Amino acid sequence: MKYNRSIFMLLPLLLAAAPLNAAKPAAPKAPDAPLLGVTAADMPYDVGNALLLRWPVNPADDADASYQVFVSSQENGGWIKAADFAASANKGKDIDLPFWAWNGGAAEHAVKVELADFFGEFKPGTVFGLKVAALRKGKQYAESEPLKASPRGNWFRLDRLNNLLLLIVIVVVFFMAVSHAKRKGLFIRRIAGLDAIDEAIGRATEMGKPIYYCPGIGTMSTISTIASTFILGEVSKKVAQYDSYIKVPHYDPIVMTVCKEVVKQSYLEAGRPDSYREDLNYFVSADQFSYAASVDGMISREKPAACFFMGYFMAESLLLAEVGATTGAIQIAGTDIEHQLPFFFTACDYTLIGEELYAAGAYLSKEPMLMSALKVQDFGKLVVMLAVFFGAIVLAAGTWLHWDSFVQVILNLFKAY
Amino acid sequence: MKLIKKHIPLAIVVVTGLFTVASYYIPNKTSVDYLEMINKWENIVSAFAFLLGLISLFYSHFSKISRRTDGWGYSLFVFIGFAAMVVPAVLMHGKQMEAGQVTSLGWAFRSIYNPLSATMFAVLAFYIVSTAYRSFRIKSGQALVLFVAAFILILGKVPLGQIVWDKALGWTHYGVDQVIEWIMSVPAVAGKRGIMIGISIGTVVTSLKIIFGIERQYMGKD
Repeated sequence: MKYNRSIFMLLPLLLAAAPLNAAKPAAPKAPDAPLLGVTAADMPYDVGNALLLRWPVNPADDADASYQVFVSSQENGGWIKAADFAASANKGKDIDLPFWAWNGGAAEHAVKVELADFFGEFKPGTVFGLKVAALRKGKQYAESEPLKASPRGNWFRLDRLNNLLLLIVIVVVFFMAVSHAKRKGLFIRRIAGLDAIDEAIGRATEMGKPIYYCPGIGTMSTISTIASTFILGEVSKKVAQYDSYIKVPHYDPIVMTVCKEVVKQSYLEAGRPDSYREDLNYFVSADQFSYAASVDGMISREKPAACFFMGYFMAESLLLAEVGATTGAIQIAGTDIEHQLPFFFTACDYTLIGEELYAAGAYLSKEPMLMSALKVQDFGKLVVMLAVFFGAIVLAAGTWLHWDSFVQVILNLFKAY
Repeated sequence: MKLIKKHIPLAIVVVTGLFTVASYYIPNKTSVDYLEMINKWENIVSAFAFLLGLISLFYSHFSKISRRTDGWGYSLFVFIGFAAMVVPAVLMHGKQMEAGQVTSLGWAFRSIYNPLSATMFAVLAFYIVSTAYRSFRIKSGQALVLFVAAFILILGKVPLGQIVWDKALGWTHYGVDQVIEWIMSVPAVAGKRGIMIGISIGTVVTSLKIIFGIERQYMGKD
C-alpha cells in the first residue's frame, strides 16, 4: 500500500515534467561521418574538360556499399550527381592509362568526371566543386568535404609515349633507308599486279581502245587516293609513251584537279605534251551510285582494253569491276579497304592488297628514294612479326606463372591510347 | 617561279604535316582548335572545287553533244537531270517539306533520286551472285579452301542447311554455328588483321614520304 502511495506521489511530478520534455527542441540529426582522404585534381593528359577524384578504398565496404559523386559549378550548392556506382567499381586500376603515366591501384577509388557532359562548354580556369557521398543499402552514412578543382588543358599525352617512341624509331629507320638508297640500290620483290600494267597498256595500244583509270571515291586526304595519284602518274607516263589513250573519271573535284596536274606532268616527262588533253580527267559525280552508274555505262559502251581501279572504294567496287569483267578488259585493282578486296579478287585479274597499293608508285617509278620507303614498310612488318611472336610467348609465360604485373606492363607497352 | 611552284607548297606541306602529327600528342585546346580549323579549310576548298567539277562535267558532256560522239544522247540526261534537281531546289529555297507538304524538290528526291540510287544498289545483289559463281570455280588448292569456307557459311545461314549438317555431321558434336563462329573469329580475323597491319604501316610510311617531301608527284615535279 505504501508502494502504491509513492507511485501516486510520483505521477503528478512525472505529469508536470512531461510538458518540460515536450518543449525541449528535438536533438539535431547526427552529422554524417566525414569521408576522408578525398582529393580532386585536373584529369591528366586531356584537353581540359575533366576532373579526377581519388580516395582510399574503405576495407569495411561490402556488397551493399556504394558511392555517389557530385559536381557543382556554383559557389554554394547546385550539386549535380555525376556518378553513382558500387563500392567494388571505379578503382584506380580501372583508369585506362599505362603504368608510366598513372600510379593508381586497387587500393583507391578513382573517378573521372567529364564536365562537358554536365556543363557543356565552359571558360578556361573555371573552378568546380566536387564531393563524394558514401552509402550503405542506399542510405548515406558519410560525405566528404566539398573540394575545389579547376581543369586545364595538358601539353603532352604521356600515355601515348610508346606510340611516339615507335614513330621516332620509324622516322630514324626511314631516313637511314633513304640515305642507304642514295648510296646503293635496293632489291624489291616483284609485284605481279604492277608488272601486268605494261601488258595492259600494250594490249590497249594494240587494240586501239582506251584505258579507264578510276581513282575511287576517296578525297585527297585519303591515303589510298594519294597513293592512287602516284600510280596514275606512272600509268599515264606509260600511256603517253605507247601513244595510247587514258580516261580518268572522277568522283571528287579536288582529286580531279590534282590528277590533271599529275597526268599533264607525266605526258611532259614522256616527251608527248602534244598528246595531252584537258578532258582526259573529267568529273562525273560526287554521288557514289551516280558515279558507278555513269562509269559502268561508259565502260559498257566503249569496251576498254584495260581498267584500273586504284584507291578508295566502297560498294561501287563490285559494280565497276564486274561490268569491266563482262567487257573482257584486263583489270588491275588496288585498295586498302579490306572488305572490298574479295570483290576485286574475284572480278579482277590482279589485285593490289592494301600496302601494295602504297608501294606501287615507288615500285613503278624505280626511284631509289621512293623505293627506300618500301624497305621501311618491310622493317615495320618485321617489327610487328617479332613483337607478335615474342609478345605471345612472354604473355603466355607470364599468365602461366601468374606474373600479373609483368603481363600488365607488356600489355600497356603494346596498347594504343 | 620555282619558289612559288615548288618551295612554298612544299613548306606548307611540311609545316602542316608536322603540326598535324604533333596534334596527336598534344591534347591542349590549341591543338584541337588547329585541327578544327584545318577541317574547316578543307570544307571551304571542297566547296570551291565543286564548281570546278561542275564546269568539267558540263564541258565534257557538252563537247560530246556538240561533236555527236557515240552515246551523245546519254549526255543530254546530264543536263536534264541537273535541271530536274536544281530548278526545284532554287524555287523551293532548298526545302523538301513546306507546311507539311512535299515540295517539288522533295518529290524530285523521293521519286527520281532515291529510286535510281536504290536501283543501282540493288543491282549489286545480281553482281554478287555472278561473282560468287566465278569464285566458286575450284581451280587451285586455295580456291578449294575458299569454297569450303563459303559453303559452310552459306549452309549455316539457312535452316535446311542446319538440318542437313546435323544429320550428316551431328556425330562430331560440333554445330554448324560453332564452326561458322570459329571461321569468322579465327582464320578470317587473322587474315584481316594481317592486311590491316600492312595497311597501317604503309599509311605511316606514305605519310612520312609526303611530309618530308620525298614524294612530290601530286604537285608536279618542276
